[in-house]
Amino acid sequence: MAEELGILVGALLTLAIFSLLYRDNPFYRAAEHLLVGVSAGYYVVHYFYAAVIRKFTVPVFQQGEWWLLPGGLLGLLIFFRLRPRTAWLSRYAIAFYVAAWSGYLIPSVLQERVLTQIAGTIPDPAAAAPWALAMSLLVLVGVASILVYFYFSAAHTGALGRISRVGILFLMAGFGASFGYTVMGRVSLLIGRFQYLFEDLPRALGRL
Amino acid sequence: MPAPLAAGRPPRRAGRLAALGRVDRRWIFLLVGASVALPLLRPLHLPIGTSREARAYHAEVERLQPGDEMIFSFDYEPDTMAELDPMSLATLRHAFSRGVRVIALTNYAGGPGIALRILGQAASEHERQYGRDYVFLGYNPDYSATMLRMGESIRSTFPTDHFGTPSAELPLLREVDRYADIELLVTVTASALAEYWVIWAGGRFGQRIVAGNTAIQAVLIYPYYQTGQLAGFLGGLKGAAEYERLIGRDGAGVRGMDAQSVAHLLIVCFIVLGNIGYFAQRRSARAAGDAARDGEA
Repeated sequence: MAEELGILVGALLTLAIFSLLYRDNPFYRAAEHLLVGVSAGYYVVHYFYAAVIRKFTVPVFQQGEWWLLPGGLLGLLIFFRLRPRTAWLSRYAIAFYVAAWSGYLIPSVLQERVLTQIAGTIPDPAAAAPWALAMSLLVLVGVASILVYFYFSAAHTGALGRISRVGILFLMAGFGASFGYTVMGRVSLLIGRFQYLFEDLPRALGRL
Repeated sequence: MPAPLAAGRPPRRAGRLAALGRVDRRWIFLLVGASVALPLLRPLHLPIGTSREARAYHAEVERLQPGDEMIFSFDYEPDTMAELDPMSLATLRHAFSRGVRVIALTNYAGGPGIALRILGQAASEHERQYGRDYVFLGYNPDYSATMLRMGESIRSTFPTDHFGTPSAELPLLREVDRYADIELLVTVTASALAEYWVIWAGGRFGQRIVAGNTAIQAVLIYPYYQTGQLAGFLGGLKGAAEYERLIGRDGAGVRGMDAQSVAHLLIVCFIVLGNIGYFAQRRSARAAGDAARDGEA
């Protein structure tokens, strides 16, 4: 019964949100405020429970993992930002976090996002089939010409200008693909709502 | 001297076409709504082909043997359920049907509700038992730290599962504890988390990974598939529909594809008409400007 009522309320709120497409109105405003309020409440409680209770309070005070205490205290320093006279203390927490994560992130990100990707643009004639080799060459030309387009230390004239124009064509193809996928994503969300209204709602009403 | 060739008067046809650029946007909303609603109510059964990426994703799950383990990360929240729920459900149905054991988690605070619903549905359809055949570890703050630490010990990263049961008491987690024990990692995500799984689990620990992504993210994921850092991926509702076809069980993805195709056709028409209206407006404005200049002369 509770699930069916929940689906019914969800359907009414969906229609209230859709009503904005005609024009702004109190139903839309009410649904929007409800969404913001419920989301804020949910996330505050969830983050507090998951981070403070589950990861700090329980291990330190119930399981005796006292070595977590310095980390917790360092985290508390962030709240000193709220008072201008003590704001400098929060920098210790930020400095520790930035330094630790830079050490972790920089080598790994450089390897996986830069070096491996660069290697991926260089075709291997021995391993690739003719069609795959042609595609790899296309990727290579695209990457090189786009990099030329973003080279700003020389005027884009002559050969440099012609190569950068090829880069623009590749960029446009990339933006077009991105736009097409974005349209697909947005239409999918609408499909999801309509499936809710046409499939889930009648099933729920039938069970009531 | 003859007068200039009627340069000033905007052509009547151009004026009519220029009206295309002034259509009330609510008509567009209505037409898009109808283009989505009608195919859902009256399916057209348009053909759905399968892409190389989707076949690779399917092959990765297909090669798993009964008793193998898979990590499944629900890295999304309710705002992208429409695109990603069909992928999650299809993947878990496929995995459970092959006897694969699943260790599920989420890196989003809004993820547990989704994960519990879909895990529950797929597990009950295949009579899988919680604790032995699948577990749900819940949400852990800080995804990078979670991904890194799981490579060393899943039990210490998640001392308890989502329901508070100690991980060491779950039969499945007594047997596996790190990426080295896991055959495949699946992330279904609405953000850049697939890239972070590649960096941390793939790059550092050599974990084999496949990803299901929203359509918007799919463009960013292609390079990782091209380099082999991802073994396969699904992009948007189309990817979900392809996967449903590959496992031979149609679901919300396939049901939504007729609407997707019709809406796309309509939007292509709008783009063409909008461009015609734009150029006609520009032509009318230029002709009106010429007329004004001729009048002044």
